[in-house]
Amino acid sequence: MSTELLIAIIITVVGASTPILIAALGELVVEKSGVLNLGVEGMMLVGAITAFVVTFTTGNHYLAIVCAAGAGVAASMIFGFLTLSLSANQTATGLALTIFGTGFSALAGQGYSARPVTLLGPLFPAELATHPVWRVLFGYSALVYFSLIMVVVVWFFLKRTRAGLILRAVGENDLSAHSIGYSVIGVRYAAVAFGGAMAGIAGACFPLLLTPQWAERMTAGRGWIAVALVVFASWKPFRLLAGAYLFGLVMTMELYAKAGGGPLSSIPSELWAAMPYLATIVVLVLISIRRDASSNAPACLGRPFLPSN
Amino acid sequence: MQFRLEKRREPSRVVLYSAPLIAVLLTMFFGAIIFSAIGYDGVGAVREIFLTPITNSLKWQDLAVKASPLIIIGVGLSIAYRANVWNIGAEGQYIMGGLAATWVALLTHGMGGFWILPAMMVAGFLGGAAYAAIPAFFKTRLNVNEILTSLMLTYASVQLIYYLVRAPWKDPMGMGFPQTRRFASEALLPNIVPGTIVHAGVPIAIIVALVAWFVMSRSVFGYQVKVVGSAPHAARYGGFSENKTIWLALLLSGALAGFAGALEVSGPFQRMVPGFPTNYGFTAIIVAFLGRLNPLGVIFAGIIMAITFVGGEVAQTTIGLPSSASGIFQSMMLFFLLAGDILVRYRLKRVAPQGEARA
Repeated sequence: MSTELLIAIIITVVGASTPILIAALGELVVEKSGVLNLGVEGMMLVGAITAFVVTFTTGNHYLAIVCAAGAGVAASMIFGFLTLSLSANQTATGLALTIFGTGFSALAGQGYSARPVTLLGPLFPAELATHPVWRVLFGYSALVYFSLIMVVVVWFFLKRTRAGLILRAVGENDLSAHSIGYSVIGVRYAAVAFGGAMAGIAGACFPLLLTPQWAERMTAGRGWIAVALVVFASWKPFRLLAGAYLFGLVMTMELYAKAGGGPLSSIPSELWAAMPYLATIVVLVLISIRRDASSNAPACLGRPFLPSN
Repeated sequence: MQFRLEKRREPSRVVLYSAPLIAVLLTMFFGAIIFSAIGYDGVGAVREIFLTPITNSLKWQDLAVKASPLIIIGVGLSIAYRANVWNIGAEGQYIMGGLAATWVALLTHGMGGFWILPAMMVAGFLGGAAYAAIPAFFKTRLNVNEILTSLMLTYASVQLIYYLVRAPWKDPMGMGFPQTRRFASEALLPNIVPGTIVHAGVPIAIIVALVAWFVMSRSVFGYQVKVVGSAPHAARYGGFSENKTIWLALLLSGALAGFAGALEVSGPFQRMVPGFPTNYGFTAIIVAFLGRLNPLGVIFAGIIMAITFVGGEVAQTTIGLPSSASGIFQSMMLFFLLAGDILVRYRLKRVAPQGEARA
């Protein structure tokens, strides 16, 4: 394999992995606080259409990312209000949020399909990335570096800060955290909002990083893969990074199987398209065979907090 | 004036059964406001989506045809959710049922016989059940989350349709369209009301719901499902196997979704096309909840959801509302319903402001 091809592969994999990584990091923090938000896919779509419309009308990519994050937070607050303030069923509410996000983004995106925007360009000046090897390090857009920095930030926050400790306490034992005086609901609201912002930014990656246009349901289940990835990574940020890149590899495999020729290139493209979803199942099964995997789940995950009972 | 939530001694049945109706009314009210705010004729949208399908008798046949798959799938899901088994891949099981029925129809093409249609229905049942068996196997053996596996299988099944109609099952006389040949008349679902599109699936849906209601409220199986779902510890003491319940819940909901797929492909579609997945499997999730996980309630919820589908199409042509609008109405309904659920267990109590004596 030539160096050129290898570099091209790395760059595509990084691009495909970035939205999953960002969304999964958000969901990881939400789940660590004891909340299961299955609305990631819906919040991503809300973020994707917001980012598209803002880029289309203003041409400012960074404004688009900020607005997508805001839209994700707004969508997550529907979920937060229902599950945290009204203790509604988290599974059902998350599903409803995904259905809502799909409908909302389709409605808001009316008339925008097949209209192009420009992709977000590389963060560093082109001179830094002239040599192919340097391109692997310095050739990406800000969203990619953001995702990598956030892996460290989330890890540091959860493991090394007091606020992170409180968040984990709320997720492991909400009643104890409540009785020492922490606001369980307040912490969970903050976590859900963070998850919403990250899902919104993850959605923004689709029009700004991958395909410079709007298409209905353009996230194509990547939000669900992000949820699965959190389980796969047993709630650990650095494993999440590895998992996201593994999925990016699976998702882009068709490109180089076709390029490489040989027996792989005769596999029907539909099977390649189904591969990330099948790989998710395989990975979930493999991780469950190892006994300790689910034991790392936050103890209060998905349980509503009702102190007055 | 302040309010406080106070736990009810018993869940309120009045709230439980009136909440879906209130959710629908609130959706109509806020839907009108929201759609007006974003520049559509909001009142018109609500009228066309919720009322026209009921008042215009020409639309009743559409309602019946759209409601029946929603009811059949919704009944299965309501049983699964009662058992606390989160099958959200009904869309995939619906697709596999449709594909299994298509396979039978294509194999028997050119043969005559009354048995072809029943064989397709059985294939639909088995196809859906087999696809739901995958999450059931991994859930019971390795405790793999069934939400994720059933959903991932849905995405994969859509690709399977694309492949089959593009290559091996493609109609040779189809002028290059990716679709199968039209089924022979023996493989088509009979129309039961002449001059309309109402097919045999409509009464079947009602029968399925009634049978399910009877089984759930009168049999040991129904009791077992409810106990395992609401009190797993008690179920273990009572000797009910949790794994067996998970298997039954997934196989049953998968089989019913697959059956609905077989009815759809042999009824309205008459052939397999890439556009076969029509989100019935996802909408049926809302139907199950709106019907309060009760098979009789699912009949009404299925009709309400069918109204929003048919009404959405009406509003598209009359006031130019995009088709995605009905999805927003549907999810709003579910949001209001879930929000209202807290009042089943709690009541709002007025709290007298401090310092103000009240008797």
